[in-house]
Amino acid sequence: MDSFTAITLAVFLPFILAGILPAVEKLLKDKIGWYASAVAFLSLLLVAQAAPEIIHGGTIQKSIEWIPSLGINFSFYVDGLSVMFGFIVSGIGVIIMSYSNGYMSKKEDLPRYYQQLLFFMGSMLGMVFSANTIQLFIFWELTSITSFMLIGYWRNRPMSVYGATKSLLITATGGLFMLAGFLVLHAITGTFDIPTIMHSESIKEILHGHDLFLAALILIFIGAASKSAQGPFYIWLPNAMEAPTPVSAFLHSATMVKAGIYLIARIHPIFSGTEAWFILVSGIGIFTMLLAGFLAFRQTDIKGILAYSTISQLAYLMTMYGYTTHHEPGIGVAAATFHLLNHATFKACLFLVAGIVAHETATRDITKMGGLRKEMPITFIVAVIGALSMAGIPPLNGFLSKEMFYESSVEMGHLLGGPWSILIPALAVLGGVFTFAYSIKLIDGIFLGKRPSKGLPDHIHDPSMIMLAPAIFLAGLIILFGLVPSIPVHYFVGPTVSGILLEETHLHVKLWHGITTPLIMTIVTFALGILTYTQYSKIADWQDRFNARFPWISVNYYYDATVENAKNITSKFSNRMQPGPVKNYVVALLLLFIAMFAIPVILLASSLVPHNLNFDVPLYESIIFLFMIVSALGAALLPRYIPAIISLSGLGYLVALLFIYLQAPDLALTQVLVETLSTIIFLLAIVKIPQKFREHVPSTTLVRDLLISVTIAAIIFIMLINATPGIVPPFESLSHYFVEKSLSLAGGHNIVNVIIVDFRGYDTLGEISVLCLAAFGVYNLINSRGDDE
Amino acid sequence: MNNTLLSLTIAILFGIGTFLILRRDIVRLIIGLGVLSHAVNLLIVSTGVFDGTKVPIITDDGGHGAAEVTGTIFTDSLSQGILAPVVEAGHQVQYVDPLVQALVLTAIVISLATTAFILILAYRIYEEYGTTDIRELRRLWG
Repeated sequence: MDSFTAITLAVFLPFILAGILPAVEKLLKDKIGWYASAVAFLSLLLVAQAAPEIIHGGTIQKSIEWIPSLGINFSFYVDGLSVMFGFIVSGIGVIIMSYSNGYMSKKEDLPRYYQQLLFFMGSMLGMVFSANTIQLFIFWELTSITSFMLIGYWRNRPMSVYGATKSLLITATGGLFMLAGFLVLHAITGTFDIPTIMHSESIKEILHGHDLFLAALILIFIGAASKSAQGPFYIWLPNAMEAPTPVSAFLHSATMVKAGIYLIARIHPIFSGTEAWFILVSGIGIFTMLLAGFLAFRQTDIKGILAYSTISQLAYLMTMYGYTTHHEPGIGVAAATFHLLNHATFKACLFLVAGIVAHETATRDITKMGGLRKEMPITFIVAVIGALSMAGIPPLNGFLSKEMFYESSVEMGHLLGGPWSILIPALAVLGGVFTFAYSIKLIDGIFLGKRPSKGLPDHIHDPSMIMLAPAIFLAGLIILFGLVPSIPVHYFVGPTVSGILLEETHLHVKLWHGITTPLIMTIVTFALGILTYTQYSKIADWQDRFNARFPWISVNYYYDATVENAKNITSKFSNRMQPGPVKNYVVALLLLFIAMFAIPVILLASSLVPHNLNFDVPLYESIIFLFMIVSALGAALLPRYIPAIISLSGLGYLVALLFIYLQAPDLALTQVLVETLSTIIFLLAIVKIPQKFREHVPSTTLVRDLLISVTIAAIIFIMLINATPGIVPPFESLSHYFVEKSLSLAGGHNIVNVIIVDFRGYDTLGEISVLCLAAFGVYNLINSRGDDE
Repeated sequence: MNNTLLSLTIAILFGIGTFLILRRDIVRLIIGLGVLSHAVNLLIVSTGVFDGTKVPIITDDGGHGAAEVTGTIFTDSLSQGILAPVVEAGHQVQYVDPLVQALVLTAIVISLATTAFILILAYRIYEEYGTTDIRELRRLWG
C-alpha cells in the first residue's frame, strides 16, 4: 500500500467505521469502547505505514481533482509536521478510547459517545494532512462541530450547554476569519495549495511585499488563536471542561486545541521572517502565557487548573513559533516542536489522573482533597511524574523542552538587542514560575498533606487497570523521552523541523550540557516558583480585591453580555414581527402582492385595454369552464368535508380534461393519476377528523376576505389577458432550443418527456428528493405518536 | 389561442383559492391550496410562448419544429410600458410550448407530495389537540 492510500484510509476509515458503530454495538453491547480503540489503532498503524518515508527526509503530495475550475483539489500533503500530528491524534486516540472503557458508566449513551470521538479523530487527521486551504477549512470546522457535540455530551446540564455553545461560537467564528484569510492569500498568490506557496521563493517574495500581507496574516491568526484559546479567545476552554474527562484529555489538551498551533507551524514557512509575525504570534503568546499561567495557579477545580495550564502551555508554543528574524526565520521551531510533543504526553497523563481522582472521590474540588498518596499510591506516582515534567524538573521530558524554550528566548532577545535581551528571557522565566507553582499545587492539593476529615468517600483506592494502564503508559513515555531524547528527536521532532524550515536539520538534545544560561534560568524558576507557591493566600487576596473592583476587566463579562443582548434583541424582534395569528401573515402577503401589482396597473392603465379578447371557444370547452367554477365553489362552500373533497377532486379531473384540449396529453395523464392518489389520501385522513368545528365568520372579516379574493382574481385576469400565447418575451425563449434539439441531441420524440428526464434531469432528481422527503415526513409524523398514549 | 374565457376561469379559481386559504379551518385551508395549485398550473400552461397548436410530440412525417411563421415579441423598453407589444419575431413553431408543460408536470407531482404531508400533519394535529381551528391551536400552544 502506498503512503497516499494509507493516509487516505487513516482519515476516512474512522468516519466509515463510526458510521456502522451502532450496528456493531448490537453485538458488543457495553464492550463497544474496545471497537472504537481498535479503529483508532488501525488509523495509528496506517499513519505509521507512511512514516518511514518521511523520517528519511521525504514528503508526499498527491491530489485528486475536486473543483478544478476553482483550483480546489482534494489533496494530502504528508511531511514531518503532519505525520507527528497524525501520531499524536491517533496515538492519544487509542489511549483515550481504551481509558473510556473504565471511565464511562455502562448506563451512558455509549454509541453516541464513541461515534463522536471517532468522527472527531477522522476530522482532525483530515485537517493535519490537508494540503489545500479549503479542504483544511472544512476539516477544521468539522473538528469544531464534533468538539461542540462532545462538550455538550451531557445535554441536560445547563453548564454543558453553555460551554458547548461558547466553544462553537468562538471557534467556528474564528474559523470563518481563517477562511477569509485563506481567500486573501489566494487573491495574492493565486493558489489554494499550501505546499506550492511554501516551496516557491518567488511567490513568497510577492506575498511579503504585498499590501494585503498583514490582512491575510491577521485573519488566519485569528482562526488559529480562537482554536487554540489564545489571547482574548481563551475564555471558551475553561468552560469546555464540562465534557467527560477523557474528552477533555483528548480534544481540549492533546489534539484539537493544538490545531491552532498546527496552523501556525504549517504557515510558518510562508509568513515567518517578518516583524509582523514576531509581534503578533509571540506577542499574543507571551501575554496569554502569563495571564493563563497566573489564572491556572488560582483555580481550585482540578480540571480548571489543567484547562488554564493548557492555555498557558499552548501559549509557550505560540511564543516559540513566533520567534523569528529576517535571517533566522525559525529560532524557536525545534524547541516548540519538542515541547508540543512533550505537552501532549504529560498533559494527557495529568488529565487521565484528574479523571481517576474525580471518578474515585466524586469531586473535582482540590480544597476538599488531600493526603490521597496512601490510598492511591500508583495514581500518585503517575501524577508526580506528569506534574514534575510539566514543572520542568530533570530528568523528565518537560525539563528538556523548557531548557530549549529558555535557550531560544535568550537567543531571540540577543538578536533583537537592547532592553529585549533582558526582557524576553525574564518574561519566559515568569511564565515558568507560574507553571512550576501550579504544578506543585496540583500534587500538594490532591496527594500530600492531611486527608480532610469529611467530604471524601471512606474507601478510596487505585482504579482498575483499564483506567490506570493508559496513564502509566504515558508516564513511561515521559521518562523515556527525558532519559533518551534522541528517540523522539530522531523520529518526530527532526522530520517536523525539517518540514517547517524546509531544510535538512540535525538536532542534538542532551540531558546534561554543562552550566549554561538556560540552566541558571531553570534554577531561578524553581526558587521563585516555590516562593510564589508559599505566598498563595496573599496573591489570592490581592486578585480577589482586584476582581471585585474591576469586574469589567474580563472577557467573559463581554461575552455574556453580548450573547444575552443578542438573545433579547432577536426574541423581541421576532415577537414584534410575528405576533400571530398565522392568518394575519397570509393577509399581509396577499396585500403585498396586490400593492406590488397596483403600481404597474396604475402606470400602464392605458395599455391595459384588452386589445385581443377572444370569446370564440368551442361550446364543450365553455362547458368545462363552467363545471370547473361550479366544482371549485362546491369545494369552498359545501358545509361537510367529504362532499367538499369530492368536489375538489372533480375539479382536478376537469383540469385533466382541459389539459387534453390544451394539447398537453402528458399533463392530463399525470393529473388523473395524481388526482386519484390525492383524493384517496384526502379521504383517508379526513374520515378520522370529524367535523366538529364550524367557523362563524364576522361580517367585517368576511367582507375583507372577499375583497382580497376578488382583487386577486381581478389582478390575475388582467395579467392573463395581457400575457396570453402568441406574445414572445424580449429574449429568445429556451423552448426553441428544446424543440430543435429534442430529436437530434436526446433522440426523443416527446419533447416534454425529453425535457424532464434529459435536459432538466437534475430538476427531476430534485423533485424525486422532495417526494422522498415528504414520504419520510409522513412516516415520521405517523410514528411520532405513541410516546404518551 | 388567446382564450379570454379560460383566463376568466383561471382568475375565478384564484379568487376562490385565496378565499379558502384565509379560513381558520385547516382542512378548508388545504382544500384552498389544492384549488390554488390547479389555478397556477393552468396559468403556466396557458402562457406558453408559441403560437402553435400541435401536441409537442415530433412526428415522423416531417415537422422538425421550426417553421417560418411570423409572430409577436415584447419589447423590453420600459418607456413604452412593460406590457407594450409588439415587434415581429423571427420564426415560429407549430407546437404548443413544451417547456411550460414540463414545468407543470414537475409542479403537479410536487403538489401531491406537499398535499399528502400537510394532510397528515393536519390529521396529527387533530389527534393531539382535538381541533382543526388555527386560532384555537394558537391558544393551546400559548
